[in-house]
Amino acid sequence: MSRTGNWLAAPVVLALIATCLVPMGVLFAYSFFQVDFVAINTDPTLKNYAKIIGSETYRSLIGRAFLSGAVVVAITAVIGYPVAWFVARRGGEWKSALLTLLLVPLYTGDMVRIFAWRVILGAEGVINRFAQWAGLITEPIQVLLFSPIASHLVLAYNFLPFMVMGLWLGYEALDDALVEAARDLGAPPVAVFRRVVLPMTLPGLIAGGMMVFVMVVGDYMTPQLLGGASGVTVISAINDLFGTAFDWPLGSAIACTLLALLGLFLAVAAYALSRMNLGRSLISGEA
Amino acid sequence: MTHDMHRRRFLQAVLAGTAASALPLKALAAQPDLLWMVWENLAKDEYLAPFLARSGVTISKNFIGSDDEQFAKLRAGGDSSVDLITPGLDKVDYYMASGLVQEIDLAKIPNTAKIYDAFKNSPLGKADGKTYGLPFYWGINPLVYRKDLMDAEPDWSVFFEDSKYAGKLAMRDYALEAVMIAAMYLEIPRDQIFHLDDAQLAEVKKALIAQKKLLRTYWSSIGDLTNLFATGEVVAAYSWVPPYHELNARGLSMGIANPKQGTIGWADSLAIPKGVEGEKLEAVYALIDYLLGEDYGKMLAVGGPYAQSTSSARDMLSKEERETIFIEDMSVMDSFIWRSNPERYNDWVALWNEVKAS
Amino acid sequence: MNDGPGRAPLLRARALHKTYGTTHAVQGVDFRLMPESYVTLLGPSGCGKTSILRMIGGFEDVSSGMLELEGQPLNKVPAARRPINTVFQSYALFPHLSVAENVAFGLAYRDLGREAQRARVEQALAVVRMQDFAARRPRQLSGGQQQRVALARAIVNEPRLLLLDEPLSALDRRMRKDMQIELKDLQRRLGVTFLHVTHDQEEAFALSDWIVVMNRGQVEQQGAPQDIYRRPRSAYVADFIGGSNVIPGRITARQGEEARIETALGPVVAAAEESLRAGDAAALCVRPEQFGQAAGSAFEAVVTHVVFAGSGWHVELRAGQQELAAQFTEPPETGAALRLGFDPARVWIARAGEAVA
Repeated sequence: MSRTGNWLAAPVVLALIATCLVPMGVLFAYSFFQVDFVAINTDPTLKNYAKIIGSETYRSLIGRAFLSGAVVVAITAVIGYPVAWFVARRGGEWKSALLTLLLVPLYTGDMVRIFAWRVILGAEGVINRFAQWAGLITEPIQVLLFSPIASHLVLAYNFLPFMVMGLWLGYEALDDALVEAARDLGAPPVAVFRRVVLPMTLPGLIAGGMMVFVMVVGDYMTPQLLGGASGVTVISAINDLFGTAFDWPLGSAIACTLLALLGLFLAVAAYALSRMNLGRSLISGEA
Repeated sequence: MTHDMHRRRFLQAVLAGTAASALPLKALAAQPDLLWMVWENLAKDEYLAPFLARSGVTISKNFIGSDDEQFAKLRAGGDSSVDLITPGLDKVDYYMASGLVQEIDLAKIPNTAKIYDAFKNSPLGKADGKTYGLPFYWGINPLVYRKDLMDAEPDWSVFFEDSKYAGKLAMRDYALEAVMIAAMYLEIPRDQIFHLDDAQLAEVKKALIAQKKLLRTYWSSIGDLTNLFATGEVVAAYSWVPPYHELNARGLSMGIANPKQGTIGWADSLAIPKGVEGEKLEAVYALIDYLLGEDYGKMLAVGGPYAQSTSSARDMLSKEERETIFIEDMSVMDSFIWRSNPERYNDWVALWNEVKAS
Repeated sequence: MNDGPGRAPLLRARALHKTYGTTHAVQGVDFRLMPESYVTLLGPSGCGKTSILRMIGGFEDVSSGMLELEGQPLNKVPAARRPINTVFQSYALFPHLSVAENVAFGLAYRDLGREAQRARVEQALAVVRMQDFAARRPRQLSGGQQQRVALARAIVNEPRLLLLDEPLSALDRRMRKDMQIELKDLQRRLGVTFLHVTHDQEEAFALSDWIVVMNRGQVEQQGAPQDIYRRPRSAYVADFIGGSNVIPGRITARQGEEARIETALGPVVAAAEESLRAGDAAALCVRPEQFGQAAGSAFEAVVTHVVFAGSGWHVELRAGQQELAAQFTEPPETGAALRLGFDPARVWIARAGEAVA
């Protein structure tokens, strides 16, 4: 790259550093401080981290965030595979239109979607009203709304497009002849998926899964507004610490712990992914 | 305190805390221009017009989204240009402890003579007999319920004891008030509520965990709660006043309960940042006096509707208008428990997170 | 047909149709595959040969008509249940599996023990001389090696019928020749019927016991390679299998096996396709080596190009408006006018028809 290019890129790099790295650095620094009412004591200490490790609450909140991420990744993968297959193999000239359509719910904004789901899932909502009208139930099913079921359902709905995008890319790279070869060799449909489609679309699944996972871990609006009394997330706990308790150091420490664990998780996923690609490029380099 | 505090992302708080002060330098002008950090609904142009016309002072408004945001801004160095702030009365402690506010000279504010006794006798906003946060306006955070869906007026026990309303109740997702209500239900003496010891906190935690099973959800924005009342998902909630007015106006039969265990009252205050002096300080005192006076008080009672902290406008209001803002029968104030700042608030927040995560 | 009485066909296609939307890819095709034969579906791209192969493999539904395998209807049998295996054009080896795992893929759906499986895989790899590459990944192999693995993967399942979709098209010329010999040899040794799709007539002649020539979704001609070479039914077949001068004309008389045709080279009496009658448009087929100087019925032609072709000289000539190709052992002068002729007993009159694009 030319020197001029470097100079032109400098503002962008600086802006990235200022908007991205500096807050992270501040967050990290704060995690070693202590708070005394409103005074921040800047003598570095690991007490905040000790508190997190010693706290059943924060440990379980972080664990729950990762579990939610895994559950939603699983749901979106199960739904996403047929959808991605349809887009990739039956989309034809409508492919880009279908992909755009898939993203439409994202344009509506969090709150609109959340309230729309309330209308659908509520005790007086569309589903319960219909089921009562049809005589299937006499009392509304309360667990449809304000429950982990509701929040995971809606999280899956929200982030499904990202999974489909990943899987769609996976399918685009999958040669149909491989599927036909598997069928030709006698594999029933489930085996075709398990032995050929799944391994061949794995990079797409990992890419989509990483996106979904990170977004689920970072989402607190949906669980808070649809998850009911048990809808607390580690993010809303951090928010409480920053907002109402002024305990920025502890909040920072939890945020840093979460980020570190997320980073570790992503690194493992990225490593798996790179090994696949690396393996491939190495092999094609030899051939 | 009428805005949602949870909507912000925590990174914004960090950014606000770290950004160097970018507020403009004070403009040099013949008549001072005051910068007021305030809730939008308290500083409508028509509320302030008489004062501006009379004094020639101009006012720039910096609207706040939450008390925490105001504190964060001021602490980040915004105090060099802000002339008046509007913290919650219970939060003034934070500003005092951070050295952000100056003593208020009551002698320069004639209308302070008309401040209600409940505030005069309260230690909130004061230290060593000096006033740092002057009560401005107040209200209650009541137990609101659907009259048409409940047989009788509930009290706080409905949130702690199993009944046919279990699963149709909502509680605000806010540590301070959740613990206060549990303490009231447990009949912990009022003077101990903000000084709970370990045993009392453990009792509170047990009660709140029991409460969790009875709730439909925790609410975090008042619009959200109004929605839950309207759709019948929730029949009773620890609430703010607006859903009561709003849904009654829409034809629902809403009630405000008067729980025997007590009601939570809140007040916002006016405070002057350190460093405001001279001509500006004089202008700020004049503005405060106006805000505690009858013109502003009447407009706030009708438009808010909120009650100011003085009796300035009381006699000018109709009985109905007085009832709306709870100043018809002043004895009701006796059952209030004013929101204060608990000394072990970090433990309260930790407890609240434990309850929610349980 | 080369089936004697009592020999039932392995596979039978009757009035086979395939339509995609408004495109009629296959339009009423009938043929039979005899057991242990090597059959080629020959035709240019778009002639419907691949569609037929895919219907037999079970990858496409039959639009109408019947496929029967050993007398049993095949139309509704899913691909996985057909005792048929395919060698795909791109080989379709599973890139995430080793050579041995690729070959073992189909054995998982058979009742075989681990040891038996391994033995079968080893044996199949040995047949294609790939036993030393069992642990490799497909991408570490050359095109020809991949081809062999694809063959091993198919034959290890002991199919009744092996389908080969343009299996040699990705190989270079030299490799192609070697593989042709190997394929033919393999088919003989295994005794399995091979159905091979190709657009290469040389390949078809080299390999096949039976050739089905396709044109626009229909069978143009089928028969033994020698018959098709010597007696192409139409100008289309003559042109496609190549080598022949196809000289248009009109039949003026018909008697028994022979007919009389008027062409730009003059009238010729020769063996003719059986359906031709006096008045029909037809084509005289003369192969380059059949032209000789001043022999038999003679005509005059001018030499336009002379090219050395190893075993002889390839000569292009013009007789009136008719362009001709001939093969001589000695090169004539370019521009020379020659008197040429051919032995009418060795030439053939085919039906007229459009030439291959």
